[in-house]
Amino acid sequence: MDNSLDEFAELEAELKTLRPVVPSRELAARLATGLTPNRRSQPWWAWTALPAAAALTLGIFLARPSAPVVVANPAVVTTFRPVAAENVLYSARDEGYVTLEDGTPARRVRSNYVDTITWKNPRSNASLRWTVPREEVRVVPVSFQ
Amino acid sequence: MTLPCQLTAIPRMEALSNDESWQHWFQLYGPKLLLCARQWTRSSADAEDVVQEAFVRFWRHQRHLPGEPLALLITSVRRAALDLARRDTRRSAREERADGGLDEPSPAFISPSDHDERRATMEAALARLPVEQREVLVLKIWGELTFEEIAAQLDLPPNTAASRYRYALTALRKELTAADCHG
Repeated sequence: MDNSLDEFAELEAELKTLRPVVPSRELAARLATGLTPNRRSQPWWAWTALPAAAALTLGIFLARPSAPVVVANPAVVTTFRPVAAENVLYSARDEGYVTLEDGTPARRVRSNYVDTITWKNPRSNASLRWTVPREEVRVVPVSFQ
Repeated sequence: MTLPCQLTAIPRMEALSNDESWQHWFQLYGPKLLLCARQWTRSSADAEDVVQEAFVRFWRHQRHLPGEPLALLITSVRRAALDLARRDTRRSAREERADGGLDEPSPAFISPSDHDERRATMEAALARLPVEQREVLVLKIWGELTFEEIAAQLDLPPNTAASRYRYALTALRKELTAADCHG
């Protein structure tokens, strides 16, 4: 299937002498910008992850009956409280073997989750659901013996 | 079991990550990727955008993966080109008119010298090939893909990819022979 066609070998060789146009300097400059580590862009949900985690931590902390903050600021306690959190795995892909920096072979598995957290206001019974995609990459060292 | 096959890729991955910078890689593969991108985009500017997106994606997330790097890069280029095409179809007709539509076709290959008429004739003949034949030819000759890989890229049976390649070469040879006869 994959062998070149003998009758066209000469034409194929001639075609290979044609050299594709080199990309512009502007493209190289854009790549340099895009691949500079400190300019690396984050996925959109990454910007929400930290505030959300902080809010969740605060919510859990405030939900504790004995938390001093409850006494100090009862108005906050009456607002939304986290009532449920779930992680749904919707895809997992084995990306095969990679080599770690120390030369150890490892297997890399990429998993995609959807995390859903639900808050509820106990007074009004209003609820708020927050859903965010999450990607997890696991690198597991392996040994071949 | 595919383990031995995958293990053979590890030394090359080490070489990729440790010894070579993205600039080296781009110098090596950039022209081929741009040529492939031009088969699937409306303009050379779009092709460069697609190559940028694909190369950044490859370098950040895929360069350590086992497999043939150029094939992975071409897959990334095609995916980016399809994404761009989908975005383009959502543009309004008015916006397209304002853009002036397709830009002027620019050379796909390094310009031959004035006396190299043969190469100029070849490039012109390539440009006249049907799109579906030319993309297979480009992926085979400059993308260095096998017919199986081309078939996977274009979602075709491998035999169809091989047939298109043969049609393309036949048409090219016919044009070049005619050009030779007419001096």
